[in-house]
Amino acid sequence: MAFLEWLQGTWVGVMVAESLWGYPLFETIHTIGMAMLVGSLGLINLRVLGYKPDLPLLGTRQLLPLAWLGFTLNAISGSLLFSSDAVYFFNSWTFRIKMVLIVLGGINAALLGQRVFRDAAASTVPAPPSVGTKWIAATSLAFWLAAVCAGRLIAYTP
Amino acid sequence: MTMEFFVWLESTAIANAIRTIPWLYPAFETGHYIGLSLLVGGIMLIDLRVLGFARSLPLKGMIGLLPFVWAGFVINVLTGSMLFIYGATGFGPNGAFQLKMLFLVLAGLNALAFDLAVRRSGGEWVAADRPPALVKGFATLSLGFWLCVVTTGRWMAYL
Repeated sequence: MAFLEWLQGTWVGVMVAESLWGYPLFETIHTIGMAMLVGSLGLINLRVLGYKPDLPLLGTRQLLPLAWLGFTLNAISGSLLFSSDAVYFFNSWTFRIKMVLIVLGGINAALLGQRVFRDAAASTVPAPPSVGTKWIAATSLAFWLAAVCAGRLIAYTP
Repeated sequence: MTMEFFVWLESTAIANAIRTIPWLYPAFETGHYIGLSLLVGGIMLIDLRVLGFARSLPLKGMIGLLPFVWAGFVINVLTGSMLFIYGATGFGPNGAFQLKMLFLVLAGLNALAFDLAVRRSGGEWVAADRPPALVKGFATLSLGFWLCVVTTGRWMAYL
């Protein structure tokens, strides 16, 4: 708690909270980063699930830089938004759920990267994704969409 | 005249429902964000591919993501209309909202021009993966216009 109070009292926290442009600017960046991250990871997950077979599965690896760019933009803008009202966000259950969903989504993305891009690429004839891999992709889609919903609902829920 | 229309919108059964059912407004807003992810996420992938990003994914297949973009567009027209009906007298005169609508029209006209360019060329450059400079220009403008739509939309709450 002491840390959170210190954080929202730093010049960064005060700047985001009180300047005319701080909060809306980082919210805008957060929204654009969301579209990058959810758009690119969403397509990779859907491809693993068998959608758009005319896109080569291993080729979707080239979408990862866009996903990482979106993630980085959102980690930075999200931290700045958090710093503006740290005690409030930390105590929000919806915010906590969102953080758990992002951790779960991140674990799934790492597992998927391991199975699809490393193991499959290592074999001479890449096998189609196994049922287990498809489950990871399906839950990953669910986690990220739920994270979007939770993020939007922080303002309305305890 | 316009203001009377906004006042009337806010008196409709839809506006009343959104006012009285507490979770409806957040639900539409959340739907608007899901639609945004589909729409802007999809368009961004197509535009970036036209501009040369992720070349191991065939251009034709990526343009095939358009149904996702359309799904996102329809979701956002519907949810956006609901949100607007609820708060028409506030949103209508809002400068950021008016700019958002302007960028939306520009993005739409740009998309039509893009579509026309694909049809005129018979799609030869799609198969050959050699988008003409004109089409790359449309893709760049598209990225710019949609980012402006998101930005002005997000700024509505602060003007």
